Amino acid sequence: MSGVLVLMEQRGGNWNRMSFEALAAGQQLSAKLGVACSAVVIGSGMDALSAELSQKKLDKVFAVDHALLKDYTADGYVVALEQLVKQADPAFVVLPHTYQVRDFAPALATRFGQVLISDVIAVHDGPVFVRQLLQGKLNADYRQTATGSCFVSVQAGTFRADAVETGTAVIEAFAPKLEATQIRNKPGELFRESAQTVDLSAAPVIVSVGRGIGEQENIGIVEELAAALGAELAASRPICDNGWLPMERQVGSSGQTVSPKLYLAVGISGAIQHLVGMKGSKAVIAINKDENAPIFEVADYGVVGDLFEVVPALTKAVLAAKG
Amino acid sequence: MKILVAIKQVPERDAQIHVASDGRWIDESDLNYTINEPDAYALEEALQLKEKNGSGEVVVVCAGPERVTSTLREALAKGADRAIHIEADDLGERDTLGVAQILADAVKAEAPDLILTGLQSDDLGLGQTGVVLAELLGMPHATIIMQVEVTGSGLKVKRELEDGWFQHVEMPLPALLTIQSGGNKLRYATLMGIKKAKTKETKTVQVTAAAAGPAIRLERVYLPEKQKKTEMLTGTPTEVAAKIVEKLKFEVRVI
Amino acid sequence: MVDGLLVAAVGTRYAGSMLFSELQVSATLAEPEHFSWLEVGLLLACIVASGALFFWRFGPILRNIFNSKKDADFSLHPIGRRVRDFVWEVLCQAKVIKQRPLPGLAHAFVFWGFLAFALVSLNHLANGVRLGFLSPASYIGGFYFLFAAAWALLVAVSIFGLFVRRFFVRPVWLGKKISYESGFIAFLIFLLMVTYLAAFFVDEGSGAVKALWWTHTLALLVFLPLIPHTKHLHLVLSPLTIFLKRDGFSKIPPLAGDEDFGLVAGRDVTQLISLQAYSCVECGRCTEHCPASTTGKALNPKEIILGMRSYLNEFGPASDSPLLVEAAEESPDNPPAKYMSMEAVFECTTCGSCEYQCPVGIQHVPIIIGLRRGVTNTGAWEDTYGTKLFLALEKNGNALGLSATERDKFIQKQGFPIFDGTQEYCLWLGCMGGYDPKGREIIADFARVMNYLGTTFGVLKKEKCTGDPARRLGNDLVFQTMAEFGLKTLETAKVQKIVAICPHCVRTISNDWREYGIAPEIEHHSEFMARYKDRLPKQSSGESIVYHDPCYLGRYQDIYEEPREIVAMAGKLVEAPRSHERSFCCGAGGGLAFLGEEKGERVSHVRAAELAGTGAQVVGTACPFCNTMFRDALSSVSEAPPQLLDIAQLTARALPAVVQPETPVQ
Repeated sequence: MSGVLVLMEQRGGNWNRMSFEALAAGQQLSAKLGVACSAVVIGSGMDALSAELSQKKLDKVFAVDHALLKDYTADGYVVALEQLVKQADPAFVVLPHTYQVRDFAPALATRFGQVLISDVIAVHDGPVFVRQLLQGKLNADYRQTATGSCFVSVQAGTFRADAVETGTAVIEAFAPKLEATQIRNKPGELFRESAQTVDLSAAPVIVSVGRGIGEQENIGIVEELAAALGAELAASRPICDNGWLPMERQVGSSGQTVSPKLYLAVGISGAIQHLVGMKGSKAVIAINKDENAPIFEVADYGVVGDLFEVVPALTKAVLAAKG
Repeated sequence: MKILVAIKQVPERDAQIHVASDGRWIDESDLNYTINEPDAYALEEALQLKEKNGSGEVVVVCAGPERVTSTLREALAKGADRAIHIEADDLGERDTLGVAQILADAVKAEAPDLILTGLQSDDLGLGQTGVVLAELLGMPHATIIMQVEVTGSGLKVKRELEDGWFQHVEMPLPALLTIQSGGNKLRYATLMGIKKAKTKETKTVQVTAAAAGPAIRLERVYLPEKQKKTEMLTGTPTEVAAKIVEKLKFEVRVI
Repeated sequence: MVDGLLVAAVGTRYAGSMLFSELQVSATLAEPEHFSWLEVGLLLACIVASGALFFWRFGPILRNIFNSKKDADFSLHPIGRRVRDFVWEVLCQAKVIKQRPLPGLAHAFVFWGFLAFALVSLNHLANGVRLGFLSPASYIGGFYFLFAAAWALLVAVSIFGLFVRRFFVRPVWLGKKISYESGFIAFLIFLLMVTYLAAFFVDEGSGAVKALWWTHTLALLVFLPLIPHTKHLHLVLSPLTIFLKRDGFSKIPPLAGDEDFGLVAGRDVTQLISLQAYSCVECGRCTEHCPASTTGKALNPKEIILGMRSYLNEFGPASDSPLLVEAAEESPDNPPAKYMSMEAVFECTTCGSCEYQCPVGIQHVPIIIGLRRGVTNTGAWEDTYGTKLFLALEKNGNALGLSATERDKFIQKQGFPIFDGTQEYCLWLGCMGGYDPKGREIIADFARVMNYLGTTFGVLKKEKCTGDPARRLGNDLVFQTMAEFGLKTLETAKVQKIVAICPHCVRTISNDWREYGIAPEIEHHSEFMARYKDRLPKQSSGESIVYHDPCYLGRYQDIYEEPREIVAMAGKLVEAPRSHERSFCCGAGGGLAFLGEEKGERVSHVRAAELAGTGAQVVGTACPFCNTMFRDALSSVSEAPPQLLDIAQLTARALPAVVQPETPVQ
């Protein structure tokens, strides 16, 4: 049992970008331990993706290919990967912490009498794997105590995908033994919710405008920023009360409660009724000309300035960055 | 249909966290406990399925020391029919597999049609107990579920994926689902519920097998180095805009 | 003394006879001299019929009242208070006159006349069965009949005036429907007076006397059975209702036992509620001042009471049929259903105007809260915001759903000492003071005032909501949890005196928590500052400040003057058109600050417009909820809105710039 095995994720022939972060993690771990690093791509018709992986600094690229693996199912992946892991017998199995991995990896680990150390944010010498507990209030050091393969999933952004080293690798085809009866779930097509009503609670990025905007006609500059970011537009209550934006865009105690990845508050003071609607946001950036505005207490990044200057400049910068 | 809901009692979200003197876990002396929030959504889903069906039974199960009975009582007050308390004082010594094993032992006798549990816990957040339990019981499973529909042949569930994508999955019964928060509106505990809960059955079972050696171990806990602080960005509007874009690219990662 | 009365009696008699002789009429009441046995028999038959018809309707009403659930917390004591209220409100008609002076006085005359006529009517009927006991010829009789005549005149004029008011002036609050029964009753009363007075003008022994007598009698005997069939039942019931009123304004009764969840169905309606429902005179004073009714909401306090009455008439006090329907539109043709809807009942801010105004002793607020309890304690009320509020209270211990660490951060930033038993006061932050940015400003300024005065204070390490919104929304489970936590925390910390900036906290802690224990004494910061007003600097700003009486400070606790003293020190006190006990609600109470969008006109905007309309430069508040409600409302209703400041802020602005406590405490 030796080496690091990195599980790459693809869907419909397209990579999940996080896979390369896991790949970087795997390469760095194997370098530290002085062992080989290999990668696994699983699905049906994996030639192109395997070829791409073979250009990375890896020992082997395992192409786990089977018609029944075309669409993801937990059963299919667990049965197939169990066979692969048994054969490859790695010391470490590194996965990206994606929704899909959360769906099958624990079951896979169980088959080996192991427990997945999930959502790791750092790898220290040992190896000791660091995770967050209690919604980020504490960090915890985990170590494998059992013998056998150690399963680890890596949190998004912990490693940089551009740190993956290039090289050459041998592609090894792996045809798992898989019966249709082993796959109990029937997955359907992927779909997005129809955007008939504004559902701010599903928006990953929200640009929100408050009383600082002054006049209704000024909202346009914020709309441009939202468009540039691909964000949903929201507002604090006074804006909706004035009818400048529809009520369904209101964020706050009497509007919607949102928890986007980014909440950009423009000209919002941060009254309590508004804060309770967006306090769950992962990151908050606030632009307000009042340095004492309460919004700055919940913001990760704050700009004390004139929004009429900062917002257009930001829109320009965002468009430039997106290319 | 018999629905079993596996719930966990965790420290209150607002609790002041202090690392215990041995550094291996937190100081539990001054803590208040409550139901793990995703499990509350799982319970709500179970109750709604039972109400939609018009019949059935919702059984809640929780492993832990004596104090978890209060959370079981709250679940009964919200509408669960029966509760099972797996008395275990050594959960800290068990890993996910160990916990799932004692759940599986207690659950086997119940032979439920459907097992629901929250997708992860508010304290450890490993997010695996449900999947491992399904694997031990040999049940099909699906995770991060927003909606559940009972069909003639089993279940049709709506699974949440990254980036606003969703997927429907058809599954046979019996099955296990891990439920995402926010799919339903939680109900509040009512006075009537609390009074009724007094008449409902809570069965206590002992852990049959001793804790086998865990596969992974939580060695120590500590405060993260960076505390959340507001970083003020200064400069001309153009400079500030550039700084923000950098944060958006590398810290927040939305570009 | 008796001589004096005799002299007065004789004097009046002679004065009266002189007056009448001027008008060339007999000074005495002409009574029929002789009743035949047929007439006696007829009279007896009429009396029996009238009585039977009376009891035929009154009996079931009495039964409904007596068969209702007993009030668990009822006690006749303190009886002195009950007697006092009875004398003031019933005998002196104080509320009736005060709230609507002219019509109120007219009604008072009718009432007093009714009392004065008691013996007359009795004697009148007794005559008919040859058992008359008062003779017009005797001094007592003569005096009394003239005395009654004076009243008859007053009553006739009054009832005529009231008739004109109801049918021609048509005030909104009496309802749109023409009340034929009211018209008929008014006519009967008028007839009774006229037939009585006319008896002074006719000759003894003439046929007119008998005719008048029989008209009067029939009018009386027709009136009697009409009493229980109409709102005039209040003649019989309201003195009792006022006497038996629950002791305390907006007093919410404790739940009685494991099966009691509030007013779910008829079987939960108590005797007091039944009595009050049947006493309603439909005057509409409650509706007239209700913030919800006057802004186009479904809630109408009068109709809630009448709805309760209709329910009792239709289903009775043992029924299991639910009292509330879900939506106001469900049965638009069935008034009780329309008004006794969940929708209407949850539009109440519990401001108490209705209960305060009611002249017959109906206590609306406990009834509305009882109805809310019935659907909240059983989970029948499924409201997104209500659920969010209850879950926030359960999980985070504050009504805003914010992490308690936010309060800790605020305390740290302000450098407030933690209460450790050595300080004089515990400063209770409350949800608004602890978490709301504007509430925090009020706390910070009040802390400066206390530091300036040298008063030692500390804040609790962990403080949860008093449970006021849960209490007013009818969630006894959450309320009990909050109250018990609060009582235990205060006891453990050995707090003896509390001061708070929020009237809701003060009321809930001092009054509602009693169900679970006795809290230390608590006062509102207006009471505190007023006590030290001589030591606080006065400002000569001359700014006009209009003071808004918060419902929970004014009507609920009778605190009107102390905040005004504070305001007067900071500028020129201006009164709003509706002030003191008539103050118009800001719209936040009853848990409504945490519920969703308001329908119709915004209560806060109506009041803000009223306050801004006084032309004052500043609006002075004494409640953080009023403060929050007016914040946005004032800028919406006015181009150049007045400044909005709490009394603590008004006081603090006169203090020297830097006020630090002597020894900063960790």
